[in-house]
Amino acid sequence: MVCKMAMFMDLNVNFTKDKKTLQNIIETAAHLGYSTVAINYTLESQQKKPEIPKPTSISDLFTKLPVVQGRSRPIRVLSRLTVVATDPSHFRPNAEYKAFDLVAVFPKTEKLFHAACMTFEVDIICVTVTEKQPFHFKRAPVNGAIDRGVFFEIVYTPAIRDSTMRRYTIGNSLGLMETCKGKGVILSSGAEKPLELRGPYDIANLGLVFGLSEGDAKAAVSTNCRSVVLNGETRTTAFGIIRTMKKPPPAPTASEEDKSEERENSAAKRAKMEH
Amino acid sequence: MSPELEKCSRSLLVCEKSNFTKEKSRYDIHVSKHYFNYKVSIVIPECASLPASIAGVINSFNSYYRVRDLPIYKLLEEEFLEKVVKKGQFYALSYNTRIDEDNTIAFLPSGQLILSVDKDTYEQLGLEGKPSQYKHRKVLRYVVTIDLTDKLMSPGAKRYQRLITSLKEWVPIKCDLMISSKMTAAEEDGGVLQNLLSQYSFEEHRPTLHTHTLKEMPCPSLHSTDRHGDEKSCDPHHFLEWLGAVSMDISSDNEASSFLSTYVCPDPQSLMSHGLLCTVTGFLIPEDIYSLLLELRRYFDEPKFTSWLSMTVHGFVDSPVSWGTTEHGFLKSGENFYNFVCFRNQDYWLHMATGSHDGCPP
Repeated sequence: MVCKMAMFMDLNVNFTKDKKTLQNIIETAAHLGYSTVAINYTLESQQKKPEIPKPTSISDLFTKLPVVQGRSRPIRVLSRLTVVATDPSHFRPNAEYKAFDLVAVFPKTEKLFHAACMTFEVDIICVTVTEKQPFHFKRAPVNGAIDRGVFFEIVYTPAIRDSTMRRYTIGNSLGLMETCKGKGVILSSGAEKPLELRGPYDIANLGLVFGLSEGDAKAAVSTNCRSVVLNGETRTTAFGIIRTMKKPPPAPTASEEDKSEERENSAAKRAKMEH
Repeated sequence: MSPELEKCSRSLLVCEKSNFTKEKSRYDIHVSKHYFNYKVSIVIPECASLPASIAGVINSFNSYYRVRDLPIYKLLEEEFLEKVVKKGQFYALSYNTRIDEDNTIAFLPSGQLILSVDKDTYEQLGLEGKPSQYKHRKVLRYVVTIDLTDKLMSPGAKRYQRLITSLKEWVPIKCDLMISSKMTAAEEDGGVLQNLLSQYSFEEHRPTLHTHTLKEMPCPSLHSTDRHGDEKSCDPHHFLEWLGAVSMDISSDNEASSFLSTYVCPDPQSLMSHGLLCTVTGFLIPEDIYSLLLELRRYFDEPKFTSWLSMTVHGFVDSPVSWGTTEHGFLKSGENFYNFVCFRNQDYWLHMATGSHDGCPP
C-alpha cells in the first residue's frame, strides 16, 4: 500500500508542453521534499470550443520517477484539471473529467462561487491571487464547502513574481481566513519554472503571512492536501468504499444506459468523506 | 501587522544549577535519560589543542551500525530479545525517517519499543497505542509503546504473538536503523547481533571527531554563582546564542560594514587568545557522553587559565522521544538539546532546551 500520510504535496504544477521544463520542475519538487505533485491542466472555458486536454501519461515524461529527497520512495505524480468558469454552463462533469485524479474549478463570479461551494463535484476551489477579489467571501458557502470536503487553494508563485500581486494574494487570503478560520485551505505553487518552487517548511511559514496559524499553515501543505487527494479518489467510488465500473452490456438500449449512469453519479455524489 | 505574525514558535529552556559533588544533584539522570544524541560540541576557552585524555575518551566511544531495510520483527525474535534487547543498553533508532511524515521506530535501553506511526499504519497494525499529544485539528499520528520486559510480552504469550503477527504479516515495517549495543561491544551477546546484521546490508561506523581552534575572540565571563545573568554573568539565552554562533562559525563582531550577522558576544566579556571547539558526531549513547562529562570535570584538576568550559549535546530532531519517554515532535524544528557549563569548583549549570512539539525537559 502506498503510504499517503501527512507528507508534503504540491497540487498545482502548471502543465507545459516543454517536456524538459516539466521534468525539471518535478525533479526540483522531489529534491525539495515533496512526496506528491499534481500536474495542472487549465481549461479556459471562454474559448468557442473548449477542448478538454488529455492528461499526459507519466511514462512519457519519466522512465524512472525521481526519488524524494531523504526517502527511498519515488515522487508521485497526479493529474489535475482546473476549469476556469465564468458561466455555470462551463463546468460540466463528464467522463473526460474522470480521467483526471483531481478536479478544480476557478469561479469568477459570486454566483458561481456559491454554486461551486455548495453543489459542484470538485475537489478544489481556486481563489484569485492576481487581482483584487471581485466579491466577498460569505460564511455560508465557505462553510458549506468545508463541510463537503472541498478545499480552497491559494497559489503562491504570483506573490513571488510581482509585488503588486503579493498584495492581492495577502489581501484575498486574509479575507478568506476571516471567513473560514483557517480550515479547508491548501497552499500550492502554480509553478511554471523550477525556480518558482519553494520548500514545504518555507511555504508553511509563508502561510503565517497569509493569515493561517502555525498548525494550519503546516496542514495546508500536508494533511489538507492528503484529504484533497483522497477525496479525488472517492469521486469515482460510492461512499468511498465501493468502486463502480460500468460493465459493457451486450446490447444496450438507450434507456438502460442512461439509468446506470444516473445511479453511478448519485452514489458518487455522497462520497466526500472526512479523512 | 497581524498579531499572529508577531508570535514565534514556542520553545522551552530549563536551567539548573548545582555541584557535581553534591549527592542530590541529578545531572547523571538527565544525561542517561536523553537516549538519542547525534552531536556533542565542547567549547574550552584558553585551550589550544584537544587534551589527550579527552581525545582518549572520545576514541573509546561505542561504534554503531547502520543497517538497511531491516524488518522490525527480526529484532523481536526470541533469541535476539533475550540475549540483546532485554539485557539493556540496546539503542536503535530508525534512520532517514521524519517524525512528522513517516513511521519512526525506536528501541529504548529500558527495553521499550516505541512506534510512532501515522493513522493509516496504526489502524492496520491493530496494536494499542495513544494518539500523539501534538495533534492539530485531527489525530493523524499515534504512539505505540510496548514494554518488552513485561511478563505479558514474554515469548509465547498472546500479546507477544499478536505483536509479531502485526509486524510480520499485517504491516511488515522495514526501515533503515542505527543500532548501538554495549553488550555487543563487550562481546557478551554471543554474536547474535552480528549474525542478524550479516543477513542484511549494514555498515559499522565510528563517531567522527572535528576540532577547530578559535583565535582572538571575545568570550563571555561566567561566574558560577550568577546563573540568571543578573550581575556578573550574561543570561542563559544570550550565552546559548553565543555558543551557537561559535559552533556555526558565525562572526560575532557586529562590524558596521557587515550585514550578515549582528550577533555580539554578550557582556561581561573578556578577550581569549585562543579557544577550542571540538565536535563529535554519530549515534552517541548516554553512557559514552557521561564518561566524557566525567573527563571534562577532571580538566580542572590542574590549574587552567579559564574558569569554565561548556559541553552541548544535541538530540536527533526526528527521534520520537526527548527525555525518557516524553514524546517529541517536529513542527518547524525539532531541537532537543542540553548544555553543561562546568566550573573550576565543580559547580555546574545545566540548560535543557526543547522546541514547540515537546514536553517540558525534566
